Amino acid sequence: MKWLNKTIRREQRALERARKRFVGEPNEKRLHDVRTTGRRFRSLLEDVAGITDSKRLRRRVKRAAGATDAARDATIILRLLEGSVDRTEAELALPLLERLRVQERLATQQACRELRRMRFAP
Amino acid sequence: MKAARIELENVDDLHELVERIVDTRLQEARALAGGLETREKQALHDFRIACKRLRYALERFQELYIAPEAIADRLSQLQDALGEAHDRDVLLSILPPSMAATERRLKSDREACVNRAVVHWGELQQLMQTLDSHRI
Repeated sequence: MKWLNKTIRREQRALERARKRFVGEPNEKRLHDVRTTGRRFRSLLEDVAGITDSKRLRRRVKRAAGATDAARDATIILRLLEGSVDRTEAELALPLLERLRVQERLATQQACRELRRMRFAP
Repeated sequence: MKAARIELENVDDLHELVERIVDTRLQEARALAGGLETREKQALHDFRIACKRLRYALERFQELYIAPEAIADRLSQLQDALGEAHDRDVLLSILPPSMAATERRLKSDREACVNRAVVHWGELQQLMQTLDSHRI
């Protein structure tokens, strides 16, 4: 099916573009883009797994998502904690906030290293 | 939760292919909607992922599968509400026990998120009834 092959190639290229942007200059927005594009692409590959030979590509896309999970979790949880700490407990939250900031930085660096090694389109 | 494999062999018509995909993802979401009643963390997470797969399928194949645009929009709102509940679950799991006031706030916010999701799902149920009659 021509339409389907075209759609797969289009989403594959979109993921590759998002990956390149993220490894070129890693930030929260680009991390979000690479995750969203990857999720959409993976969902397409899962939908049509019965008629396409894409097992290896599917695994690679899943690995890419896995590589960014820790960075995403740290970022989201950090923002949420910053916005929801009760005033009376601001002091108590400091160690956890600091831990999350370190986690965010390290996990983003790690995601960047892993994604630098991956390719999704020629 | 792993996506169900869709039987597509011998399907050579694109519209039939899209119908099978959307139907399967719709069934998956409906089968997991019980998570909204139990409000249990993992059940809500699985339901959210199933809704995400359904929304992606509807958006991707929108030119081939006529479904009211409101369905994808409402699915997106439902996902947002469930995603916010999930984020609170993650934070609650690492919050120091000494932060009781923050914990209460997060738990209350989490319940509000799930309540919002319940409302969106109720509206979606009605919208989705029209799916069967909107196919090409």
